[in-house]
Amino acid sequence: MTTIDSINNWFIQNFGAITIEQVKSWFVYNPDEKLLFNTGLFLGLFLVFYFVYGFLRKTFYLRLTYVILFSLFFYYKSSGIYFLLLLLSSVVDYGLSQIIYRESRDGVKKLYLVISVILNLALLGYFKYMNFLIVTYNDMFQGNFALHNVFLPVGISFYTFQSMSYIIEIYREEIKPTKNYIEYLFFVSFFPQLVAGPIVRAKDFLPQIYQKLNLTRQDVNNALFLIIGGLIKKTVISNYISVNFVDRVFDTPLSYTSFENLMASYGYAIQIYCDFSGYSDMAIGIALLLGFKLPTNFRTPYKSTSITDFWRRWHISLSTWLKDFLYISIGGNREGSFAGYLFPSLFFFGLLLWGMANYTTSIIPLIVALASILVFCLSFLLSSKRKQTLVTNFNLFTTMLLGGLWHGAGAQFIVWGALHGLALAVHKIFMEFFPSKKDKSPNFLWRFFSILITFHFVVFCWIFFRARDFETALQVINNIGQLTFEPELWKTIVLGYKNVFGLMLFGYVWHFLPETFTNGMKSVFDKTPILVKAIILGFVYWIVYATAVAGSQPFIYFQF
Amino acid sequence: MNTKSYFFQSFSIVALALVAFIGFKQILPDKIFSDSKLDSKNILIDSLLLESVAQDSLSLDDDSIAESERKLNQQKIVFDETEGIEFPAETFEDYKGYQYLISFYEKLYQLEKNPQNKVRIAYYGDSMTDGDLIVQDVRTNYQERFGGNGVGFVSITSESAASRGSVKSTYSKNWKTQSYLNVKRPTSPFGVNGHVFFANDKSNSTWVQYEAGLNKFSTSLDNASLFYGYSAKTGKVNFIIGKDTIKKSLSPNNLVNTLKVSSGSLKAFKANFVQADSIPIYGFNFDNGAGVHVDNFSQRGNSGLPISMFNADVMRAFNNSLKYDLIILHYGTNVLNYGTKNYSWYEKGMTKTVNKIKESFPGVSILIVSTADKSTKYDMEMKTDSAVVPLMKAQKHYALETQAGFVNLYTLMGGDGSMIKWVDETPAKANKDYTHFNQRGAKAIGNLLYGQLNKGYEEYKKLREKRDAEGTKPKPVRRAKPDSVSVTTDSL
Repeated sequence: MTTIDSINNWFIQNFGAITIEQVKSWFVYNPDEKLLFNTGLFLGLFLVFYFVYGFLRKTFYLRLTYVILFSLFFYYKSSGIYFLLLLLSSVVDYGLSQIIYRESRDGVKKLYLVISVILNLALLGYFKYMNFLIVTYNDMFQGNFALHNVFLPVGISFYTFQSMSYIIEIYREEIKPTKNYIEYLFFVSFFPQLVAGPIVRAKDFLPQIYQKLNLTRQDVNNALFLIIGGLIKKTVISNYISVNFVDRVFDTPLSYTSFENLMASYGYAIQIYCDFSGYSDMAIGIALLLGFKLPTNFRTPYKSTSITDFWRRWHISLSTWLKDFLYISIGGNREGSFAGYLFPSLFFFGLLLWGMANYTTSIIPLIVALASILVFCLSFLLSSKRKQTLVTNFNLFTTMLLGGLWHGAGAQFIVWGALHGLALAVHKIFMEFFPSKKDKSPNFLWRFFSILITFHFVVFCWIFFRARDFETALQVINNIGQLTFEPELWKTIVLGYKNVFGLMLFGYVWHFLPETFTNGMKSVFDKTPILVKAIILGFVYWIVYATAVAGSQPFIYFQF
Repeated sequence: MNTKSYFFQSFSIVALALVAFIGFKQILPDKIFSDSKLDSKNILIDSLLLESVAQDSLSLDDDSIAESERKLNQQKIVFDETEGIEFPAETFEDYKGYQYLISFYEKLYQLEKNPQNKVRIAYYGDSMTDGDLIVQDVRTNYQERFGGNGVGFVSITSESAASRGSVKSTYSKNWKTQSYLNVKRPTSPFGVNGHVFFANDKSNSTWVQYEAGLNKFSTSLDNASLFYGYSAKTGKVNFIIGKDTIKKSLSPNNLVNTLKVSSGSLKAFKANFVQADSIPIYGFNFDNGAGVHVDNFSQRGNSGLPISMFNADVMRAFNNSLKYDLIILHYGTNVLNYGTKNYSWYEKGMTKTVNKIKESFPGVSILIVSTADKSTKYDMEMKTDSAVVPLMKAQKHYALETQAGFVNLYTLMGGDGSMIKWVDETPAKANKDYTHFNQRGAKAIGNLLYGQLNKGYEEYKKLREKRDAEGTKPKPVRRAKPDSVSVTTDSL
């Protein structure tokens, strides 16, 4: 008896007493406890799921259905009843895609495509942008429409885009539709990338469904390496520095010194990278454990030597999606279109209005507005192929504006997109005047400054992305503008936040490590025996746990 | 090529890792980042607070606290009448102490009858009221109803000057500042704001500049006047208003001296101090001379204990020109993090503070505002910090003992777990530190505070009418005796 008791005690000590209530809470939706990859509950559920999955590996429909059920449960745990929305939209999209595939008349085909795109965007629009539109309307015309109490279903931006890619690719006859609804639902609901990407393209993913399921030792090594890195990036670096430093500064930037504002901006840059790419890496790793290869989503983006380069390394699945389905659809670098001219014109017009409205208090907004219009115009007027560059730049700017808005409903995201759009245009004209030589690689100093400038531009844009509103962003920028060189003061602040700054440094060093070094680490990891790998992974679990229970650092006010 | 499936190995790695994790959990420490105590002269901590915490060795044990608390909660608080007015009896649980705000309420009443009268409130606080948060909302509420224009008394420099929107102040970096937070023996006594400033720099100009903000009722700087203290030497100040420069001399003969910048209302001005190196400078006052004015004396890191070091003579001199009717003490945030739940030391210290206020501002009403809710992470979950309720009770206790009114901010904002709601709500009302309110939240708190004060006022008006209707002449002025609270045990 004593052994049973002692086992029981040991169990309680390590996991706590398990009650019926608790077991129930594992399976019932709780808006406060989303089922994220870095939670203990996910690990537990995944282990059970994975065990059975291994046995089903040789079946086909049974395995697909099994994964679909788990995916729907996973989605239900994150968004409650809205998993029905996922089902509903998938049924509609599947139906429309079938019609498009079978239809031979081009006009009718196009009609159905338009219907489907409108339906998908309407769904996304209602849940994500309804209140933003109401607020904007109320502000502009003194209206007082009541806000809708809209719940934003988790990942709706991701799976809507994924659905759309499927239909558009069928329309463009790049892929054949799935044989039946089950296969389609498997693609749309696949839980690893369901809520936060990467946005998987039908043509990359569907062929994998039909392949014989196989998992090699190398796959597992890659998967574990990604999961370990992802866990550390997401739960250790990103979560800790946001809660203990970045959030505080961005809440009330004026209560902090210029140096703290600057460090919070750098902090946010590494935080959002670690958060986003960490979660992506975990998703890719988990998919890989199930035998599916998802595309890489981030390739150390802050090592970019230009803003164009940055967009080839940052959230790749989104930028390629936008390129293929938005940029090309509105004309790409070939022709102008109504939409391509509309959004940039609206934006610059709005910017000008803003400048004029603020003219009485300060002339700076007007100067900013005029300067950005001038820069944008120069970016194609100076070009030798003026007509083509004009079209390209307008379409690119539209893509970046809408891409900005995709990240969230708010003026600051539009500004963020516009800044990137403008920078891409500027970089293009710069490249036309100073083309890089193909035969030899640029010297070290040139490279170094390119990276430095690109990085700082990106950090500057992140300020708009992170700030609660436009005004807060300007407060942060203003505050940083007043920075003076006071090493003693900086030292005190750094010591005050030594955990946070230590993690930031760790994050950046890791990011900027040469690729050969990370590859070396990876190959050492690959060679270790299973048991060692398990111990390493277990240690990472512990780090995640110990950071999660760490209380937040108490508030510090500096006096200078 | 290895075609053999690797599922079993893959599963066992993930499962074994779980076992390894349990092992690590047992041998490794619980937390990865220690909450190391900071020790630096550049961090704002109230030095009196640190001393009090260090001395707190003779504290009572938890049982005796619980026992005395239980007794206290059952007691009924019956007030003695003041000026023929007696508020209904209260329980300790819901103690508000409107009775002790009667002199303030009477002044408000007189103001309502005659709009040329004045009522003045000093709001002492910590970082919660930085940047005029909360206080500006209390001020707006009062000025909306009773009239009055202006932001009141403003210090020369402040760590939070940049975040203050109700008045914009910028200043040269060469001011020498002493704060009651960490200086025990200032070169000259502290002003009513707890600070004293010196323009010591002989080679560069020492200046301060004010510009009216955009808040309702404070879009101009009315009757701007400088407050400065006693010194053996005289000095000079130049007021620059637009393109005009007005040269004035400072004659620091009294404990507190005032100098008018302009009798009109200004949008902005700059004060340039020359040859004023030994004169203690306190700040500027902006009010239109009628209605309600509320001074914000916030100081980050303050526990409230440093007020007990005030020089009563200097304060009385301030009071002669500013004439305070209500002093609000809003503290607590900075005494939550010391791992103690026994706040008898704080009660003792704050009693001294309140007594100092009484000595400095004779006849003034005093209001204690309790700590707000604050959350801390306990095992992965945010909960109300375990020190919040004991501190709030201690604050209520010294409010009652020192005959001060009391606002229970903790219950007013929703009680247990409310801070988590305020932070998580969209749009959020408090910051991610689970301690401080943002603009929106501060406005809500300001309204709640004003709401409770105003409820007392409305009740007072009814009681006053009743008294007058009953025809009893107002009794001769009777100052409340030190122990006019009679505590009777509840018969139940």
